[in-house]
Parts: sequence; C-alpha cells; structure tokens
Amino acid sequence: MTTVRSSPSTPGPAPSARLVDGIGMAAFVLITGFSLLLLVAPSLIVIAVSFEPRAYISFPPSGFSLKWYQSVFENRQLMDSVQVSLTVSFWVALLCLALGVPAAFASVRGTFPAKSGLNAFLLAPQMMPGMVIGIATLFFGAYVAFRASNTMLILALSVFCLPFVIRITMARLADLDPRLDEASANLGAGKIETFVRVTLPQLGPALLAAAAFTFIEAFDNVTVALFTSDVRGRPLPVELYYLVQNDSTPAIAAISSIEIGLSFLVMLVLARTVGLERLGSPSIKPDKT
Amino acid sequence: MSDYAAHRQSGLPVFVRRVLHGGGFWPALPAIVFLVIFLVLPMVTLLAFGFVTIERGRIVGETLTLQHLQSALQDTLIWRLTWRSFYVAVISTVLSLILAYPVAYLFSQTKGIWRMLILVAVISPLLTSALVRAYAWLVILGGRRGLLNQTLLNLGLIDQPLRLLNTDWAVIIGMTQIHLPFMFLPLLAVLSGRDRRLEEASRNLGAGQVRTFFSVVVPMSIPAIFAGLALVFAVSYTNFIVPQLLGGGSYATLAVQVYEQTVVVLDWTRGAVLATILLSSCFVFVYLIVAAGSRFSRWTERTS
Amino acid sequence: MSHILLEGIVKSYGSARILNNCTLSVAKGEVMTLLGPSGCGKTTLLRTLAGFVTPEQGQIVVGGTEISHLAPNRRSVGYVFQNYALFPHLTVADNVAYGLKVRRRPASEITERVGHALELVALEGLGGRYPAQLSGGQQQRVAIARVLVLEPEVLLLDEPFNALDAKLRLTMQVELRKLIDRVGITSIFVTHDQSEAMMLSDKVAVMRAGQIEQVATPLDIYDKPVNDYVAGFIGRANVLAVDVRGGIVVPAPQVMTTRGDGPARLIVRPENLAFSDAQTAWPGKVFFASAQGPTIEYEIDTGQMQPLRLVVQRKAGQYPLPNGTAVHVGVVDPAGCIVIGSAAGV
Repeated sequence: MTTVRSSPSTPGPAPSARLVDGIGMAAFVLITGFSLLLLVAPSLIVIAVSFEPRAYISFPPSGFSLKWYQSVFENRQLMDSVQVSLTVSFWVALLCLALGVPAAFASVRGTFPAKSGLNAFLLAPQMMPGMVIGIATLFFGAYVAFRASNTMLILALSVFCLPFVIRITMARLADLDPRLDEASANLGAGKIETFVRVTLPQLGPALLAAAAFTFIEAFDNVTVALFTSDVRGRPLPVELYYLVQNDSTPAIAAISSIEIGLSFLVMLVLARTVGLERLGSPSIKPDKT
Repeated sequence: MSDYAAHRQSGLPVFVRRVLHGGGFWPALPAIVFLVIFLVLPMVTLLAFGFVTIERGRIVGETLTLQHLQSALQDTLIWRLTWRSFYVAVISTVLSLILAYPVAYLFSQTKGIWRMLILVAVISPLLTSALVRAYAWLVILGGRRGLLNQTLLNLGLIDQPLRLLNTDWAVIIGMTQIHLPFMFLPLLAVLSGRDRRLEEASRNLGAGQVRTFFSVVVPMSIPAIFAGLALVFAVSYTNFIVPQLLGGGSYATLAVQVYEQTVVVLDWTRGAVLATILLSSCFVFVYLIVAAGSRFSRWTERTS
Repeated sequence: MSHILLEGIVKSYGSARILNNCTLSVAKGEVMTLLGPSGCGKTTLLRTLAGFVTPEQGQIVVGGTEISHLAPNRRSVGYVFQNYALFPHLTVADNVAYGLKVRRRPASEITERVGHALELVALEGLGGRYPAQLSGGQQQRVAIARVLVLEPEVLLLDEPFNALDAKLRLTMQVELRKLIDRVGITSIFVTHDQSEAMMLSDKVAVMRAGQIEQVATPLDIYDKPVNDYVAGFIGRANVLAVDVRGGIVVPAPQVMTTRGDGPARLIVRPENLAFSDAQTAWPGKVFFASAQGPTIEYEIDTGQMQPLRLVVQRKAGQYPLPNGTAVHVGVVDPAGCIVIGSAAGV
C-alpha cells in the first residue's frame, strides 16, 4: 500500500518542502486510516454484536450464540415483512427495467430534437429526496382515492429507482460501438432484430447489474416506504424502523447482519458484471439546471 | 441467387415512416408517461396541498390560499429547524470531502487486492440500508452501555459516561459515514483516470509532494469535488432517518418536521408546506454549490 | 454498362457541404478506389451507397435498380468497416452466419455456406473462436467472409488495412485483391494511401473537399493528372510557373503545348528532371540532398516559391553534390510533362 513515489532525479524539492511533505504524509495516513475505520467498523461491530448470547448489547460480545438469528427466523411478523419486501423489490426491478431500458435507448441513440430535455426529465427523480417522492405519492393517492398499499409502494419506489437503471444502461449503451448496428443492418437485419441479436446480448451484464442495484435499493428503502406502504403488510425496512426506534435487542443486529451479507452478495454480482469502479463513472451527480 | 432479393421495400409513404421512426423517440414514451403520472402529478398535488385547507382528509374551501405558507414562514421554529438542517448538512458535507478525498487518492495509487478492498469498504455502505447503518451508530454511541462510552470508561479516560447520543455531533457523524460513498464515487472516477505525468511535471519543476497534491491533483478534480458536495449536501439536508434515530425524540430538523407533520400529526397542509420549503431551499443550496463548482472549473470549458 | 452508378450526390451537415454533386460509375467486376485526404467525404460517399447516410440529392443505382430510398438492411451491398465491427459476443462462425440467420435460412444451408465462406478466406478451423481471440488480419478476413457469404452485388471496404501494421498490410493487400478477382465482385475501396490505391484498384477516383477530381486508371492518373492537386496526391510532382509563347513552354522549349500564349504551370515528376548543361533550363543551387541507396534526391533552389525536386539514379561510390553547388535542371522526357492553366484560372 505505498503512496510514496520515487522522487525525480532532476532538481529536487526545496529543503522546506521535505518537512511539509512529512507532515502532509502523516496527515494523509491519519485521515485515510480514520476514514476507512469509519466506513468498516460500524458494519463489523453490528455483525459482532449479533452473536451476543445475552439480551442486551455489549461489545465485545460476552459469548457466541446464534439465538438471535433463530429468533429472527421464528418471528412471524418479521418474516412476513421480508416476504413483502422481496415481492415489492422484484416488481420494482422488473418495472424499472421495462421502463428504463427503452428510455435509455432513446436517450443515447435518439436523434430527435430536445434530447437533452428528455435526459434531464428522465433523470429528474434522482434530484428528489425519497421522502418527497413518498409524501407526494401519498397525497396524490389520497386525492384520487388510492390508498397506501404495496402497489403504491411499488410505483413510488419505481419512480425513485428508475434513474439508476437508466443511468447504468445509458453508460453501457454509450460504450457500445454504433457501427455494430450498422454492420447488422448491412447484413440484412431490421431494427428489432438488431436489438435482440446484437444490442441486448452486449447489454446483458449491465442489465443484471441494474436489476441487482434496483432490487437492493427497493429492498432497503425506508424513506419512500414509510409514507406509501400498507399499514398491515409492512415491508422490512418499515418494520425495522419501528423496531430500532423502540428497542435495542441484538435481534436487530442479527437482521442487520443478514442485510449486510445480502449487500455483499449484490456487490459480488456487480463486481462480476459491470465492475464496481464503473458505478462511479456515470457519476451520480445532479444535472446543472 | 443473391440473398438480398428476399426483401422488398415497405410500401408506407415517407412521412408516415418518418413519424413512426420519430428519431428514435418512441421507446422513451412509456417511461415519460409513467413519470408524468407518478412523479409530476404527485409533485403538483404536493405543491397544491400547501395552498389549500384540508380537514379530515378532505379539501375544504375552493380557493387557493397563501395563509399556510405565510404562517410557516413567520414561525421562528421553522427558521430554527431550517438553520439546523443547513449547518448539520454543511458540516457533514465538508467532513465527507475531507474523509473521502484521501481514500479516493489512496485508491488511485494502489493496485490489486488493496484496491479491491478499499472499493468494497467504500461501496458496501451504499448497498446496506441507511437504517442498518444508523443502528450501528446507535450501538456505538448509545447511552451508558454504548460501545464508545464503555471503551473510554474501561480505559479510565473518563469517569462519567459522555452524552454522545442525541447531539448534533451524533447526527453529523452518522450522516457523514452514511453518505461518504456519494462523495467517494465521483472522486474515484476522476482521480483514477487522471494524467500522472502532470504530477511528474510538477515534481520535476521542483514542487514537493504536498505542494503537487494541492496545486495539481486537487484543482484537476474540482468538478468531481463539487459534484460530490452537491450530492452529499442534498441527501444530508433532506435526511430525516438519521436525525430521528441518533438525535433522539426531541431533536428535530426541517426534514424530521415534515415527517412528523405528515405521518404523526397528520396535518397534511403543514406537511406539504414544509416539504415545499425543504425541497425549494435544497434546490437553491444545490444550485449555489453547482454554480460555485462551474466557476472554479472554468478551465474545463472548451471555448471562452 | 455501369454496375454502380452514383449520380449528383449532395450531402450537408448543417452548413458544411460534405458531398458536392458527386457522380461516379463503376463497371461490373471493377475495383474502384476512392482516394483522398481525411475529411474529403470519401467515407461519407461509401456510407451513402450502403444507406447509412441519406443524401439530400442524387440517385444511387446498383445493377440497374434505383436503391436510394431503401433502408440499409434491404440493400444488396456488403460493407467492411474500418475496424471490422465484428460482433464481439458471437463466434467467428456465428458472425459469418449472422446474415443468413437473419434471412431465416435452414440450418444445414447455413452450416454449409459458412464453411465455404471461411474456406474462401482461409479461416477453416477458427469458426469457434471469438473475434477478440483473432489477429488483426484474421479479423479482417472474418469481416470480409461475413459479407461475401451473402453474395452481395457490391463489396464496399472502408480503409480495410488501417488497423493492420505496415508489414502485414502489404501481404493482405495482395491477398485481398486476389480474393476479389476470384469472386469477381464489383468493389469500392476507400483509402487515403496512394500506394494502396495504385496496388489494389482498376480505377482510382481522387476526391477533394466533397468533389471527385478525376477518375482514371492508376497509371493514367500518374501520367496525366488533370490538375496539380491530383498530381501531388498520386506520387510527387513539381509544379512550376512557366510562360507559353507560340506553343512552346519557356524556359523548357522541348515541351510543346496547344495552349494559347500566357502564364501557365508545368507539372513534372521528380524522376523526369535531370542536371543539364543547356541554358534552356532552370538555373539553381543545390539546397538539400539525400542519398537513398539506388537514387539521390535533390532539392534545388531556383528562386521560385517551392524548391525543385529531382531524383537521379545513383551509381556505386557516387556521393551527392554538396549544398550550394550551382546547377542547371532540365526536363528529360517532354511527353511526361503536363501543362495546365495558371493558378488564377484555367
């Protein structure tokens, strides 16, 4: 893990620069170490705490037990909420792919006027905080007499997640060589056939990544869900939200550990498909408006 | 025989074909319709609810009124909450930059397994629920049995447990950690792809490492820095989960107040007004950050 | 009768006119090369023929059928892309089979024809590989097999040797020309490399700024360029300001012309100049000399804008004249010179 690079053989740094460099290096190491600790430690602590055999949290745990995991799996209400969340996330991912992939296509390959306007509109939801999307959907639902329900949750979460799918797909599409489409046309294929035979197979990994990302976003989301989910069949994040507010049993640590494990699984999918680094390149930034 | 004979041209007139083709616009239509119905109309409703009077879930009165907005803007509590939302977000955003930048830089300098590990460390929070991460901070900071207090007491550094939870700093620390990936991702892309020869040129011209870092590396990444700042500010400013969980029951920010009014008090008019204030003030701040960013990165523009 | 006929093709992007009234006809079985510097519109003209570009005006006729309004996938025109545009997710065999599959040919026929096509380009046995596992030369052959398997009327190749290194390029040029002769297909190449154009084609069309300047056989273009641009693009040429007086060029009276009296320009190839004693030649000084083994190249300063270039055969042990030597330069073969109008007008 070296950051020091061999100094050039030509004119060396001024003597005072040596001291500054030393201090700078020390500050760099200190901040980096602290930052990495801050990123990793909380998750590790939660995982450690989840093995606590007693009824309250302590660190390091006083022993090793899986009883809180057992209690999670035996908790009917929690398991129901997991079921709800899985169903909701599945539909969100599906809906986002169905809407987002064609939209990304238009937005990358289209030649119509006002294309940049379309892009801004399609990516607009990422400017909206989840809470605002949740409340707006709730109010609109009330206005047209549509109650908070899993259907409403799916729709609101899809609005929230659509930009992820569009962005990942757009990034991959922009990478594809448009001459492959021309080659396909030259060999006699029509537009749809070209899409199915040439574009889609190359888009595959990106779509898988988009689906995984959307799924986990929908599964984890609490800001939208608090406002739009069904009062009876609550999704997991909402259930967890109330649990965390009122209680601090290691059972929550156990659920959290399971979620952390799940996120690692998704990360593996992303690493294998689009590559983790690429998540940053279509940089998640608000448009200049 | 040539295979090309198998095809015949379609008989449609040119203009019909041109409309059907639409410059490749049509695939975007479903998404547009979807967003209009489930984003634009709800947003209009949200805005509108701030200007009508609602009682027991029904709109009372026919006319729009500025009364609710006025009373909210005259309420000093709202101003205090907005100020708190603002400074908490600002401190957290600046901290994110200070913490994320060296890690992104380290990432750009390393190879192989370490690079992968840093990436996992930074991205994994992005894929874990904010709730789980907030809970981790509850465990660490929470009360007498909180991990940090326990450790400090055991080490004899303090006699009394510190009040860590339910403070501004608990909220700021929690937010910073949760939003760190948003700052990291744009930086990662820019720092990894940067031209190392510029630094070699700087060293060759006699600058030390620190000087090179601040005169060459940092300025080159200004666009990414401001993209990250804008994003982290926006998510911090509108976050209500972290202030609620780590700030405690009596701690409120503007975002928390929006939640309380909408879900707990069920005063939808008030909720709508506050949400409108939250969203519009957030846009103003983000715009200012983006504007500052483009001022500092004029060298990226192609023509003057 | 011409097999391919492009007539009055006009194409603009915004205010920039990329193709300005291009007319070109290619006979059946002929190999034509579009030659010109980058940005002269040669690739656009080729893409127009394939249907990737829709011209504002003009007609495209292939094999007697007007195809201007046809979509790219309905044209009997095979196109080999500059970097081949092989489908990276398909094997070599699947790349070649692509067009046949699109046409819903029976599987047995596809296998047979793909086999033949791969044999034609000497890639038997590599059908199972992916494009990324092939060398540049092999990729090019796949790209060619992929279109030839469909037996198109016309073969279009956009700078097909650009992606190959210099050594491989020569072999592939010869191989490709032999292949085209075997198949007997009407072909159009695009290139900016004049030696490639000379080697490959039956006819060369020299383009400049969206216009076709001259269409002729490579040797005719070399010997009888219509203007100084064409002369400079194919081989090297000296363009000299001269005077015509009574059908005789001054100061090179061996050269005769039917042109009327007045200023004109004389185009002379460097190998058609030699040192002479005669006073009826250009006096000058050696300005730069470089020995190349079999020849010596001189630049002679004659007081004109451009130095004169001449190439002389070198004998063993002979060294170039030192710089500054006063010399006279004269024309060797008057028939190899061309007199054109002065720069101001024709």
